[in-house]
Amino acid sequence: MDDPVLAAIRRSVVEVLPEVDGQLVTEDRSLTDLGANSIDRVDVVTMTMDDLGVTVPVVEFREVHDIGTLARLLRRHVR
Amino acid sequence: MTGGHEVVVTGTGVLCATAADTDAFADALRAGRSGIGVRPGSGVDGLSPRLAADLSGFDFRTAVAARSGLSEPLRRLAVRVAGRAPLPVQAAVVVALEGWQRAGLHHVPLPAERIGVVVAGHNLGGRYADEVRPRYATSPVHLPARYPLQFMDTDHVATVSHVLGVTGEGYTVGGASASGNVAIINGARLVSAGSVDACLVLGALTDLSAMELQGFYNLGAMAGTGGTDAPGERCRPFDADREGFVPGQGAACVVLESAGSAARRAAPVWARVAGYALRLDANSLADPSAAGETAAMAGAVRSAGLTPERVGYVNAHGTGSAAGDAVEVEALRAVFGGAVTGVWVNSTKGLIGHTLCAAGVVEAVATLVQMRDGFVHPNANLRRPIAADCRFVGDRAQPAGIEFALSNGFGFGGFNTSVVFARPAVPSRRQP
Repeated sequence: MDDPVLAAIRRSVVEVLPEVDGQLVTEDRSLTDLGANSIDRVDVVTMTMDDLGVTVPVVEFREVHDIGTLARLLRRHVR
Repeated sequence: MTGGHEVVVTGTGVLCATAADTDAFADALRAGRSGIGVRPGSGVDGLSPRLAADLSGFDFRTAVAARSGLSEPLRRLAVRVAGRAPLPVQAAVVVALEGWQRAGLHHVPLPAERIGVVVAGHNLGGRYADEVRPRYATSPVHLPARYPLQFMDTDHVATVSHVLGVTGEGYTVGGASASGNVAIINGARLVSAGSVDACLVLGALTDLSAMELQGFYNLGAMAGTGGTDAPGERCRPFDADREGFVPGQGAACVVLESAGSAARRAAPVWARVAGYALRLDANSLADPSAAGETAAMAGAVRSAGLTPERVGYVNAHGTGSAAGDAVEVEALRAVFGGAVTGVWVNSTKGLIGHTLCAAGVVEAVATLVQMRDGFVHPNANLRRPIAADCRFVGDRAQPAGIEFALSNGFGFGGFNTSVVFARPAVPSRRQP
């Protein structure tokens, strides 16, 4: 079973990028690898925050460079 | 018109309450089909608007898939770029794809930098803002990432240019309900001046917010104030019992091209843009002006090098509003004099509602299909015409060989526009 944060990221990726196979959404890949453009990436992040019911200040996303670092950041905010 | 390149129409696209493409639109107009009904969930207390001519069953992916003559990569790109765009932008992409295909730009292309995009309209996404607002109210950081791109009307230009790979000139133009003609005039100037060889002119779907609709209603401009029965009979342009306009969802495209480029590409030529005029009233109110409308129509006819009696048909602005229709009749009499009895007049808005910023382009397509197919469409609900001397089409379509047509667009704040279309020497035929 997936952890809930990665599952939420996967749901958002598939909604924003319908052509992407959800199985490819893994912590070692980046959203860019999956074909996301600059706005797609922000969309995925916003939708995932919404899905998980968390709010993360924009400044904290500076440390995010792949799906793994995104998942770790979001996990810190999930209670 | 003198100087510059001759401008012709080589493609059309349309989407409205009664039709999903140009040929379906021609059929719906000839049949006098109405797209006006009661908006679901609207109140019956007479205090808010309840009539609308909305698109029925529009689905972007289905509409793109229906353009099967276009390449699969192009259709896939359209879905990729605009699959989650607001309705007005999706509608713009759909009509642009139809215009692109009909103009044969997919078969015999032009250099990307020789094609322009002019979008008619402003304040296009009010309803989309209504949809997004609750999210902002509960949690500002969860506002969709695309919102700053989407709330700008220029998203229409950007998205269509992205899908079609167009890199020539592009921008939006505004003129309230005359926006469509303002865009046609701008597109024609780009082509005439040689800035581009072809220009997609897009009438953008104006999706009003609840508050914007209420504003028009409170002003007394909208139909439905007189009662709640017989919704299909409430919009009645040029009828003594008219009570205002009904908002319609619609978008359209005309591809304007230099005659030389059209000939080199062997593109179908629907009509020539023979003349146009745009006049302001120096009046910020909603009051129409016979002098301004007369100046626009007479100026357009003059710029086409014609005398008024050569014009066989007028696609009237004719919203069904009390003041607007009466003033337009006054202007028609001033322009045509005794010849007014011989000029066919109808209003497309009686059938598909007032598509607001898109209206000029939607009605250009209506004019072009009537010229192509040799008919004039019925006037909806015209039982007691306000002018016995005007040649209003009745409740049935009539055969008509139109050589020159005038298409009017007038907007709040004193925008008066008129465009003259001329049937080409070798008319384009409806494709089987």
